[in-house]
Amino acid sequence: MKSRKIFNRIAVLRRERNVSRKELADSIGVNFQTIGYLEREEYNPSLDLAFKLSEYFNLPVEMIFSTQPMKPLSVELKNLKGGNDEKIAE
Amino acid sequence: MKKLQSNRRKALVINYLSFILFLSIFYLVKAGVFPLIYLSTNLLPLSGIVFSFHTAFGKSHLWKLTHSAYKDLDERETELVFKATTISYSIFTIICLVMIYVFNFIGFGPIDVVLAAFLLYLAHSLPAAIIAWNQKVIIETE
Repeated sequence: MKSRKIFNRIAVLRRERNVSRKELADSIGVNFQTIGYLEREEYNPSLDLAFKLSEYFNLPVEMIFSTQPMKPLSVELKNLKGGNDEKIAE
Repeated sequence: MKKLQSNRRKALVINYLSFILFLSIFYLVKAGVFPLIYLSTNLLPLSGIVFSFHTAFGKSHLWKLTHSAYKDLDERETELVFKATTISYSIFTIICLVMIYVFNFIGFGPIDVVLAAFLLYLAHSLPAAIIAWNQKVIIETE
């Protein structure tokens, strides 16, 4: 079965938090090369690994992984905030 | 990167061709086609095997990867090794059958220690060879 491509924000989040591939890999228990494969979107992680990354970055899984190409985090947060403001206004 | 991959592939080709050359010389001597002194020329393919082994499997740590216990590998590595082992199993079976058939056909009888050693090496090196051939060479920074 050919699986579809999963997009992610691991590279952005890692750089934002100033964490090396090795440090991130050691924290979640994988080889640092696997982080490279994940960042280049050449490998789709298992659900377990996706949750480990989500726990590490303290973000919901859907903020890190998507089946659609990901917009910048700032745009997504803005949209999220806009949606919340609309709900509050209602 | 392309150069690195091409070097790795070249090393793989040299490694297996050296083995074939080694076996050819050995069996031609055994069959009496070449005199016994020709066995000394096997030093050339033997050195080819040793040097190309380092480039193809040693430097890239692929030998270590395919010979590690599953508990020491992460999920990507496990998947990689599993796929390579599946493919190598099919290739190895075909090579084994062809070898046994050829040996019987040319009248060498059952396979001997030298060929058994080659098949053992092949069984152990094929998964790493498949990964080395297919995988892009990427130098990851930590």
